[in-house]
Amino acid sequence: MHRGLYSILGGLILWEALTRLLLENELLIPPPSSVIRSLWRMSLSGELNRHLLATLFEFASGFSTACIVGIVLGYLMGRYRWFDELMDPWIATLYSIPVIAFVPLIIIWFGIGLFSKIIVVFKITAVAIMLNTAAGIKNLDPVWLELSQSMRLSPWQTTLKIRLPGALPYIVTGMRLGVGRAMLGVIVAELMAANAGLGFLLRDASETWDSPKLFVTVVLLAAMGMGSFTLIKKGEQRLAPWRETAEW
Amino acid sequence: MLKLISIVGGLGCWHFLAVWVINDSVLLVSPLVVIAKGYEMLFVTADLYPHLFASWWIFFYGMILATVVGVPVGFLMALSPLVRDYVSPWMTALYTTPRIAFAPVLLLWFGIDIGSRIAIVFLGCVFPILINSFYGMRVVSRDFVEVGRAFRLSGGRLFLKILLPASVPFILAGLRLAVGRGLTGVAIAEWFGATEGLGYLIFFAGQTLNMPILFVGVAVFGVLGVLGFQILKIIEDLATPWKKELEAK
Repeated sequence: MHRGLYSILGGLILWEALTRLLLENELLIPPPSSVIRSLWRMSLSGELNRHLLATLFEFASGFSTACIVGIVLGYLMGRYRWFDELMDPWIATLYSIPVIAFVPLIIIWFGIGLFSKIIVVFKITAVAIMLNTAAGIKNLDPVWLELSQSMRLSPWQTTLKIRLPGALPYIVTGMRLGVGRAMLGVIVAELMAANAGLGFLLRDASETWDSPKLFVTVVLLAAMGMGSFTLIKKGEQRLAPWRETAEW
Repeated sequence: MLKLISIVGGLGCWHFLAVWVINDSVLLVSPLVVIAKGYEMLFVTADLYPHLFASWWIFFYGMILATVVGVPVGFLMALSPLVRDYVSPWMTALYTTPRIAFAPVLLLWFGIDIGSRIAIVFLGCVFPILINSFYGMRVVSRDFVEVGRAFRLSGGRLFLKILLPASVPFILAGLRLAVGRGLTGVAIAEWFGATEGLGYLIFFAGQTLNMPILFVGVAVFGVLGVLGFQILKIIEDLATPWKKELEAK
């Protein structure tokens, strides 16, 4: 823990010193101090808020819809073989094609506004959650189902009290896989065609050669990525404490 | 059987939708048109190949570089707590940030040449490889190591004869994960300033609203993803025959 802190502090100091001593202008690598200054300026002017909120809104709405649809369809895939076989070829294809390849298509269909980004996030996350939910339902311990029979639970109760909670750890894993890819997708979509959002900011900064601004955006994206990752990891540990969760 | 019905039925719906409902070649084209275009680009005009090769080299160099860097660093982190503690905060930050964020920065540093593209692919591939090498080295069974000690193996021989072979399956699994991320990296890399490559093809087709080429590009990416995954799976089976025996038992 201490070493981690030292490492970050040391790295930042080294970065500041090297950029101040060796580089004459800030174009290639701005020192941390000017990145922080730029961050401060952008948050005062409200520029930061606007872009951050746009991205967060797109992400949140796409992600929450994807959770609902993904869990319902994944449940059906796990329960009914014919449905699984019907969906599988298409889901597998969708899953194996890189996210980025879809973005131009989605922008043509749904425009350059917020909606196309929500669709991008939705598509990416829904597929990941669907596959994992189906796996969770299929791998349910049969003892639990016998238990529900001996308790005379109705099918509806079995679903709510046994099957879905049993699949929960898998569902959370699907969410974790979805988060990273969806964040990539939303940034790419904003980069290609948008008028707000962190991806737009990234493009704006790189096209105007504003390196401090560019680095501010990178730092913000890093913070978002790390934040959501930690959150989901915590959730995973609480829901399935018996499973060894990965450090990264 | 059901799978076949699903595929044929899905393609049928798509054709119906494209021809009878939407009927606008800017929004959607029939799968038949896509197949015809793909056939033409592969066998008649053969103008898919330059793009394919351009992307292949970026992917290849990025992947090799990621393996050469990722495996040793992963090993070092597993063997030395000091290295691990100092490197891991930076690694977590780099790994969890959406990779696209680094693309403009890398472009700034390496120019719009092939160098920046390889760097983007490298950044995508290196972490799954590194993390898997790390875990592979970490979870080597204690029994194996004790056998080595009992035979009085020196540190170097212990590494070569026991630690390295035991972590091979993990490294290969990391490579398999890296294929998908590498392909995404290729697509991202060719967004910026490239004049050929599959990512450029898709980007260009999107900008000019050329639906058939756009779909062909997307399909090629899909085929490559599945193919790369399968090839590495075969290599994995060949390189670690004992794993299969374990599964059979």
